[in-house]
Amino acid sequence: MPQVSFEHITKTYGQVPVLKDLNLAINDGDFLVLLGPSGCGKTTLLNLLAGLLDVTDGRIMIGDRDVTDVDPKDRGLAMVFQSYALYPTKTVYGNLKFGLSASKLPKDEVERRIAWAAKLLQIEPLLDRKPAHLSGGQRQRVAIGRALVKNVGVFLFDEPLSNLDAKLRTEMRLEIKKLHDTLHHTIVYVTHDQIEAMTMATKIAVMNGGVIQQFGTPDEIYEQPANLFVAGFIGSPAMNLRRVTLSVANGKTEAVFASGVRFELSDYRFMTPPQDGTTVTLGLRPEHFLVGAGTAADSAATFEVPVQYAERTGPDASAYFVLENDLLALRVEPAVAAGLKPGQLVPVHYLKGKAHLFDAQTGQRM
Amino acid sequence: MAQKALGAEVAVRSAPYFPRQKKRISSRSIGIIVFLSICALFFCIPLYVVVITSFKTMEQIRQGAMFSLPSVWTLEAWDHAWNSACSGINCNGLKVGFWNSVQILFPSLILSIAISMITGYALALWNVRWAGGFLFLLFICAFVPFQIIMFPLISMTAAIKVYGNIWGVAIVHAVLAMPVLTLIFRNYYKDIPQEIMNAAVMDSGSFWKIFTEIILPMSGNILIVVLIMQITSIWNDYLIGVTFGGMGSQPMTVNLANLITISTGTTRYNDNMAAALQTAIPPLVIYFFVGKLFVQGITAGAIKG
Amino acid sequence: MAFRWSRWSPQLALVPAVAVTAVAFVGAIGWTIYLSLTRSRRLPEYEIDWSEPLRQYTRLFADDAWAISLKNLIILGLGSALAIVFGFILAAMMDKEKRGESLFRTVFLYPLAVSLIVTGTAWRWLFNPELGVEHALHSIGLTWINFSWLATGETAMYGVILASVWQSSGFYMALMLAGLKSINSEIWSAARLDGVSLFRLYTEIIIPMMKFTFVTCAILLSLGVIKAYDVIVAMTNGGPGQSTFVPAYFTIQALSAKGNLGFASAAAVMMLVITAVIFLPLVMLTAWQQRRTGRAAH
Repeated sequence: MPQVSFEHITKTYGQVPVLKDLNLAINDGDFLVLLGPSGCGKTTLLNLLAGLLDVTDGRIMIGDRDVTDVDPKDRGLAMVFQSYALYPTKTVYGNLKFGLSASKLPKDEVERRIAWAAKLLQIEPLLDRKPAHLSGGQRQRVAIGRALVKNVGVFLFDEPLSNLDAKLRTEMRLEIKKLHDTLHHTIVYVTHDQIEAMTMATKIAVMNGGVIQQFGTPDEIYEQPANLFVAGFIGSPAMNLRRVTLSVANGKTEAVFASGVRFELSDYRFMTPPQDGTTVTLGLRPEHFLVGAGTAADSAATFEVPVQYAERTGPDASAYFVLENDLLALRVEPAVAAGLKPGQLVPVHYLKGKAHLFDAQTGQRM
Repeated sequence: MAQKALGAEVAVRSAPYFPRQKKRISSRSIGIIVFLSICALFFCIPLYVVVITSFKTMEQIRQGAMFSLPSVWTLEAWDHAWNSACSGINCNGLKVGFWNSVQILFPSLILSIAISMITGYALALWNVRWAGGFLFLLFICAFVPFQIIMFPLISMTAAIKVYGNIWGVAIVHAVLAMPVLTLIFRNYYKDIPQEIMNAAVMDSGSFWKIFTEIILPMSGNILIVVLIMQITSIWNDYLIGVTFGGMGSQPMTVNLANLITISTGTTRYNDNMAAALQTAIPPLVIYFFVGKLFVQGITAGAIKG
Repeated sequence: MAFRWSRWSPQLALVPAVAVTAVAFVGAIGWTIYLSLTRSRRLPEYEIDWSEPLRQYTRLFADDAWAISLKNLIILGLGSALAIVFGFILAAMMDKEKRGESLFRTVFLYPLAVSLIVTGTAWRWLFNPELGVEHALHSIGLTWINFSWLATGETAMYGVILASVWQSSGFYMALMLAGLKSINSEIWSAARLDGVSLFRLYTEIIIPMMKFTFVTCAILLSLGVIKAYDVIVAMTNGGPGQSTFVPAYFTIQALSAKGNLGFASAAAVMMLVITAVIFLPLVMLTAWQQRRTGRAAH
């Protein structure tokens, strides 16, 4: 039974459509990440679910309740905000307690829940403090605590980690993941950070221009991007996308680069049979390249390309080559990167079975 | 390396030493201070004259030396102004007006602040579709001259039987202050982060509960500023008091104006000055204690837009 | 759509304010405008003589006292503008010399805390023809000085202006000081490095940068001048004769002393028109500023 579902959701601001006939359903206990660039409609979708905005058309279901016209407080949701939105004049205890003000619980139950959440999040020593006297990480915990005490089935997170520094962000990411693993709430989490999406989600909905581009598990999104947008958005450095021509002859399917390099595609699982001579977009992940001679046997193609530059980002390194007047990004071993000299011609292989093909017109996966 | 650094230090130490001259006040600064002091003197003269006159006897005043200190310091005028100065036909002194002003002040404050605070809160933080248009209307109302609504307000207050008593004055004060105060509160509340409101809407959802528990505790600063601004403006008002006060409930400023514009008999200038000081003391005390907030208040009241 | 109480409670909370605005402002203004078209005298009459609906206005513009009021309004406006100039000079000096700033600020602003009736009382005493400043000056030999301005119609308005400037300079100083403080401090450093003289710096850089502050001050001053009533009552009560009548005083005089409701309403409507003439640029200015900042944000 789907725990949260959006049915034919349309949202317009004045005349500007933000979401158009959007459908999405997630199961009980799912950790859904709405991922996309800013302005893609992901926060709008979250606010519609929260009830902070009204839908123009369509229906929102939580469980089997139609909540489209229900007040935010009665929807059975809890939300953690980007800026934490703690009440500045209330103590941590007061913040948690106000979170329960709509539920009319008996006093001892309120106390019990606050104690439980405070213990779970290790904020017991902070209960008497005001938000101004808390660090960023502590505020984040309090914000999560205020959501937890409500004991509801669905949690909403609106870019909750974007105000934290890198180290804290990693810590809190694990913490939220752990909470989900222990409590099994349904979570809807909005972010523009693909690392957060890939590490925490059980389901990702990649959004752009108010449309869900792809909905699936993190692996599906990464391994089988449904279209050019998803392919380009997920992955860092981004997937290399090149215009090529398909060649189907003698039972062999190949992609032919303008420079004449032939790319072996025989093991590619086409959804429709490939047509000879069509122009398509070929997507090559940076980490599926091998640099150097001698590995030609498992490679789909070998490029002889000059080095532009190599850069090291801590444990990893990226190298950029020039292929047909455009940069080709590769993930390489730091040791390899150190040996690359600008201008040097290097043979580069691409692994078999790792290519992505997209229709040049529609941008859809082939 | 260490030796080299040491050498550099020695070189610095042995460099010729120019003792820095003790900082002097530049001639420009002196000029400015002198000019500002003269201006300050100009600002103080009226207060000085009023104070010393209020302590003089009429005999000394008649001798004409306006700026000289009282030869005999006497509280006679203060007593006379407070207890037996005439306002119209009643000669019970300014104390009548003082207590009227006090009685007008509290209901005016409560009414005007309560209505504009709630209105500002609703307009700033809740989704009211016509909020923009209403704010613009309030903005215009804030500048409307009193005379254009004077007669209708007299008729309306007479219709609800408050014309000529303290409640009439208090209600009219609240009505006239409402547009400005609403804009001030609205601008203040507009700066409360939307996410806090969203959180509160999800947590409680109740308009009044969010106001009393979240918003009101966050309004401390603006509340004090508005309070000071309103106390002084209500206390200092003359026009509303004289128009709506009726005979028995006129505020202190009206008593003072009646006293000084009296044309029969000899004018007792020392009484007048004592009366003026008595009227001015409450706002002046506030000003000297919380001057900074007072300035914030009047500038907030001036630049509402 | 389902009835949602949460959606109605904010609108319900606005009912008092909307009612006050609709009745006490919009309704009352309409009422006065209507009355100005009637022949109402002491009591309101609600019949409009359509052959001559503007008779009160005709009478108003034929009235000598109204003409004096309008003339005095302009004199008072121009004269009080000195308060802006004075306020700017004070602010510029206090901005350059921090010593004693809070003391000077306290002194310059205290007149604002007291009622205009008190201000008027004090100045009325200073201007006293027999015992006031003039007498003090004459007694030390400066007999050529004439300072009993309130005693004659020709100079009485200047007395009112002096008191107004005294009362309001501190206010404009506070606004100007806030404007000066918002100017980037690097401009002063840059000007010093470029060797620009202080006078040129002010006239060519600082004052143009503060044009919004000046315009705001000018509009506030104009609106204040139209409302000027208390100070007239306390200082001159309109006299000598009618020489210090201003529209605000004239209107109330027509209503309460003469009991001429239709006539007073016409004068009040004219006050509203004058306010609108001043107010309109303010609205346009605000709109323009909003558009500008809006564009900058994009």
